[in-house]
Amino acid sequence: MRKNTQWQRLAGVLEIPQDIVLDLPRITMLGNQQLLVENHKGIIEYTPSLVRIKLNQGELLVAGKNLMLGNLQIEQILVEGTVGEIKYDI
Amino acid sequence: MISNILNYISGTVTIKVSGAMPEKFINLCMLEKINLLSITKKNDDFIVCMRLYDFFSLRPLVRKSRNRIQVVDYAGLPFLTKRIKRRKMLVVGGVIFLTLLNILMSYIWFVDIVGMNYITASQIKDVVYEQGLKPGVLKDTVSTKMIENQILLRIPEVAWVSVNFTGTRAVVEIVEKTMSKEPDKAPAHIIAAKDGIITNIIALAGQSTVKKGDTVKKGEILIKGVAYDGKEDVNNITPQLIRANGIVKARVWYEGYSETELVKTIHERTGRQETSVTLKVLQNEILLKKVALDPERQFEVEVFNKKLSWWRNSDIAVESIISIYHEVNSKTITLSIEDAREYGKAKALAEVQSLIPETAHILSRNIEVLQIPENNLARVKVNVETVEDIGLFMNIP
Repeated sequence: MRKNTQWQRLAGVLEIPQDIVLDLPRITMLGNQQLLVENHKGIIEYTPSLVRIKLNQGELLVAGKNLMLGNLQIEQILVEGTVGEIKYDI
Repeated sequence: MISNILNYISGTVTIKVSGAMPEKFINLCMLEKINLLSITKKNDDFIVCMRLYDFFSLRPLVRKSRNRIQVVDYAGLPFLTKRIKRRKMLVVGGVIFLTLLNILMSYIWFVDIVGMNYITASQIKDVVYEQGLKPGVLKDTVSTKMIENQILLRIPEVAWVSVNFTGTRAVVEIVEKTMSKEPDKAPAHIIAAKDGIITNIIALAGQSTVKKGDTVKKGEILIKGVAYDGKEDVNNITPQLIRANGIVKARVWYEGYSETELVKTIHERTGRQETSVTLKVLQNEILLKKVALDPERQFEVEVFNKKLSWWRNSDIAVESIISIYHEVNSKTITLSIEDAREYGKAKALAEVQSLIPETAHILSRNIEVLQIPENNLARVKVNVETVEDIGLFMNIP
């Protein structure tokens, strides 16, 4: 954990994007219709009302309606549908 | 957009994944760098879409994740080519169709000649046909330049000509020379075109037979077409005939009359209509579509005859007759006496106006409403007085 904060500080000084340095997921939302998760570790569960995505640490819960997974790749997941809530579970 | 095109080219397969943990299968796919295009859930099964080449490397993953897969749908270019390979004759037919179309397009099937006024079409057709431009000729063998030149040479009345092809149709467009009209030099009198009182007469050539203030009847000679040589005694020599010329102005009266009914019945279409179709083969008529008309209603009938083009049907053997029955409502309209008079005035004036030439100068206009008591009628009389040229050439036979 201490190591992480050191890296974070270094990244802050050098103005390097932190998601690269710290291996964090980058989550982009387009309204409530699309949710793009980059740098994930796979999906744990998928139903039309809930998507659980495994991350480097913990998991991301996406709840909503008529959820669909589009464009699944090793580095990104696109969740389409009506996103109701997002919860970060560590 | 681009990814959609790539998907189409490589082909996509939609599969159904069923089993205890379909998520595991999906994670395995991701680890194998298999690009999954979309995932939806139907009941307990996953419906997964992927590219065709990824589909072939799926078998070990399925076994590892202990799921079962089933192909639901497939689309894209590879499947299309496969289907086409199976139906070769379809392609052959298509190719034959295109080549046939191309061959038929390279011939001329129609020759149209447009733009004539007094030259007859057959005159030009003869030249054109003689130069090798006729239906059924290959387009490439026809030299439009040469035909244009030939037409110009052979028919002097043509000022400009263009021959061009629009599809299988050759259009010969012609502009004729406008020949200036020869002025008529035959000896002539000037006669009165209308009844009137002469207000002004100037004889430029010939001798005037009437003078200002004379009343003339239609057809009366106003200026005689004989040369006047100044001598009084012209009786014993035969007068030389010339073409009379001059200006004859006269006062002319026009009268217009109209009657307008106060109560009028008009028929108005209600918009409802029925159509009956009759097929006429030779002399027999076959009713294809009957109409059931309400006998209490009034109808107007419009009849169309449809024939095939002459080249399909040389002796009009088949013809269809379409009758459209428009339902009409009769309506009575009652005009007030003032309205009727106004309407009558307009009608009578319009009637008179059509008789008066444009060059006439209108002196007075008198509108008179006849006051004879009459039920249901408004009667209007219009008198117009004009001054106009009433001279008219009449050749001396």
